[in-house]
Amino acid sequence: MSDFLISSFTIAGIYALMALGLNLQAGWSGLLNFGHIAFAGLGAYATGIVIQAGGSGWTGALVGVGLAMALGWAVARLGRQLGSDYWGIATLAIAEILRTIATNEGWLTGGAQGISAIPSLFDGLPRPWNAVAFLGLVLAVVAVAALSLRRVANGRFGRALRLMREEPQLAACMGYDLKSLKTRAIMAGAAVTALAGSLYAHYMSFAGPDYMVASETFLIWTMVMIGGMGNTAGVLVGVLLVQAAYSAVPFAKDFFGFGSDLAGALRLGLIGLILLACLLWRSEGLVPEKLRKIPA
Amino acid sequence: MLQFLVDTALRASDLALIALGLSMVYGLVKFPNIAHVQYAMLGAYLTFFLRAAGVPLVGAIVLSCAATGLFTLAMHLLVFRRLLRSGPAIAMIGSLAVAMLIVAVLQGVAGSFPRMFDLPLSAPHEFGDARMTNTQLLTVGTTLLLLVLFSLLLFFTRAGRAMRALASNRALADASGLNAERITRVVNFGSGAIAGLGGSMLALSTGAHLNLGHDLLLPVFAAAILGGLGNPLGAVAGGVLIAFTETAVTNLNFGFLFGKPVAFLPVAYIGAASFLILLLALLFKPYGLFDRQVRRV
Amino acid sequence: MTAVTAPLLQVRSVAKAFGGNRVLEDVSFQVEPGEIVGLLGPNGSGKSTLLNLVTGFERIDQGEVHFEGGRIDRLPAHRIVDRALGRTFQLPSMPTKMSVIEVAMAAATARHGFFDTLLGTRAAREAEERARVEADALLKEFLLTPVRDLPSSALSGGQKKLLGIVCALMGKPRLLMLDEPTAGVHPNLRNDIVQALQRLNGQGMTIVIVEHDMHFIREVCTRCIVLDRGHIVASCRPDELSSNERVLQAYLGGGRAATEPEKANA
Repeated sequence: MSDFLISSFTIAGIYALMALGLNLQAGWSGLLNFGHIAFAGLGAYATGIVIQAGGSGWTGALVGVGLAMALGWAVARLGRQLGSDYWGIATLAIAEILRTIATNEGWLTGGAQGISAIPSLFDGLPRPWNAVAFLGLVLAVVAVAALSLRRVANGRFGRALRLMREEPQLAACMGYDLKSLKTRAIMAGAAVTALAGSLYAHYMSFAGPDYMVASETFLIWTMVMIGGMGNTAGVLVGVLLVQAAYSAVPFAKDFFGFGSDLAGALRLGLIGLILLACLLWRSEGLVPEKLRKIPA
Repeated sequence: MLQFLVDTALRASDLALIALGLSMVYGLVKFPNIAHVQYAMLGAYLTFFLRAAGVPLVGAIVLSCAATGLFTLAMHLLVFRRLLRSGPAIAMIGSLAVAMLIVAVLQGVAGSFPRMFDLPLSAPHEFGDARMTNTQLLTVGTTLLLLVLFSLLLFFTRAGRAMRALASNRALADASGLNAERITRVVNFGSGAIAGLGGSMLALSTGAHLNLGHDLLLPVFAAAILGGLGNPLGAVAGGVLIAFTETAVTNLNFGFLFGKPVAFLPVAYIGAASFLILLLALLFKPYGLFDRQVRRV
Repeated sequence: MTAVTAPLLQVRSVAKAFGGNRVLEDVSFQVEPGEIVGLLGPNGSGKSTLLNLVTGFERIDQGEVHFEGGRIDRLPAHRIVDRALGRTFQLPSMPTKMSVIEVAMAAATARHGFFDTLLGTRAAREAEERARVEADALLKEFLLTPVRDLPSSALSGGQKKLLGIVCALMGKPRLLMLDEPTAGVHPNLRNDIVQALQRLNGQGMTIVIVEHDMHFIREVCTRCIVLDRGHIVASCRPDELSSNERVLQAYLGGGRAATEPEKANA
């Protein structure tokens, strides 16, 4: 049981990082990034490739963050000409292209087989302490990321983003360079998400193209929307809720004895239903974004 | 050469009807409906189950289209009309949720194994160096027929004019007495039915499988965007262009680039080709290839 | 007569068309430091477009715009604001998820960046505090303190206009361009705006006001430029307006646009 809990929370923590990265783009800047998972994929693959080439985990993570930020920059450039929903589709297309490349360029990425035998951190420790230590690391990173991002959101940069998402003209007449703001928001979100990807690669000892399927982006979107778009605490709530639903299904499967197809369907259906219900009756999410208090 | 054209026509008819439906509805609701390709998959599965229950193929397809159309209409009335009040972004995310639900229900009911149609085998017909099976002929023929009917409807009937008016300027159309909501409902039903038809015909060759919808997502959107969202016949043209590029890319021998006698692009990259076209289109002509309006940037 | 000081704003032969519609033709004028210039004209004369062109929210088709000696007509809007040219909007729309004080603070000019905020440096904290103090002071001056913590979209139309002026002032502009600041504003508030503008002018700010309200113009402006169907037809003192032939024609619908647009100079 405790193994299960440790594992669930570790995965929840990794998703939390990805969700925080998406929140920066979608929640605070109003950017519809439907290819978000590509950033995580780059992090995971960078870690895998660098380690296979003999480098260290740190280097891998750094390279992953760098690559993700470069992709973020490119994707932001694309947004200069496009309306927001078109841009969403474009990001989806880019993520799919990257996934296709990952599946086919075996010489670099191991193809559909992916890259295996990525060392799990803390391998030196005995069980279960290695898992606990990893969980500790993940939670620490999430805590630092959440607090830092919240601080940024409440500061000048975040204020500019939040103004831009609703009133871009007003933001422009205050002297804000909207294109630069968007680019920086996407790049920052990309960096955090790539870090999550690296951690995931270490956790699973594996990096594969299935990490970058579009449904992963949709899952993270669901977490952010259900929890509360634009609210750091809300995002974390959303992650926990969705992860709980995801984890509950295998239990139900064993209890009621239905097949794995039905289990998969139930997971997907439950998430879809919660998302739809949220959108119809509480579109702000369970923990909506509140006005910031600024004492006089 | 002829086989090349046949391949292009086949792929184009896979995409054309579904892209047409997507574009048609977009003109009225102004948000990209990600669930649209899942309507096609729904139609495919319904056709399969009806046929498995004993309904002859044509009847099964017709019933399935009607059911898919009704489902699309229901989604519009129950979900999207409400969500649109909060804006197109929320509606788009809502379509994501609906798409998830459709996949989930089908997975639960039908399982993840593809369901093949057991159609009577027959020798393929030969035209020069090209070969087409009965099924393929049926598919292309039906698609062409429907396109012709649709064009006639769009340009020569009052209903079609009303649709076009509504798509280009909703406020004005409303003011001139057109019943916007009723037309939107009819168009929703129609686009769902056409998507169901497209999906069913596609499934005749590939079987009804859970990735049918998702695999169509980007090519269909690429076709619709190339043609200009809201321009249904443009979407068909976009579909032809995508089909042509995909066929060309797979048939081109790139050996000369690498100094080898034979070098073909891996099959998986065909999909990537249409995504690339989509990206290029979005970069240079975001409002479609046929866009003639001057827009202030 | 040559001016002793260089003009603050110079608009030379600016033209703009939307599609086939020629909104502005060969518009030229200057604004000297310390003036309060009223930009008048009937509906459709191109006043708001001219404002948008000068502040970078539209691109000019022909001509040049110079501000403080430098050419600004090719710059994007946010770069023009950086040069101490502030503006307000006719129908200010305010965000729903930000309070009035936050919106005002967003307009502060202090330049501390992403990393300063992230690390919580002293520079960032001090800049935030200064921004808050400035914003609170301006809100007080424009009587917005009672609504300080409300969502900015909850304000009345007149209050939103005031907030718009506060935001423009946070940028410490040397030239302030206002788009119909008193339209739809309660008469009491209107007087406060008049007084505030006069106060600002007394402190050295140059102001250009696009307006409809003749009384407001007479009270506040030192000079008036009148547009009619895309041409400047007059440049004179407010008290000379009612005796100017071309002005009367413009407002009473003379029927023909000016064939010889006047070059409006101080």
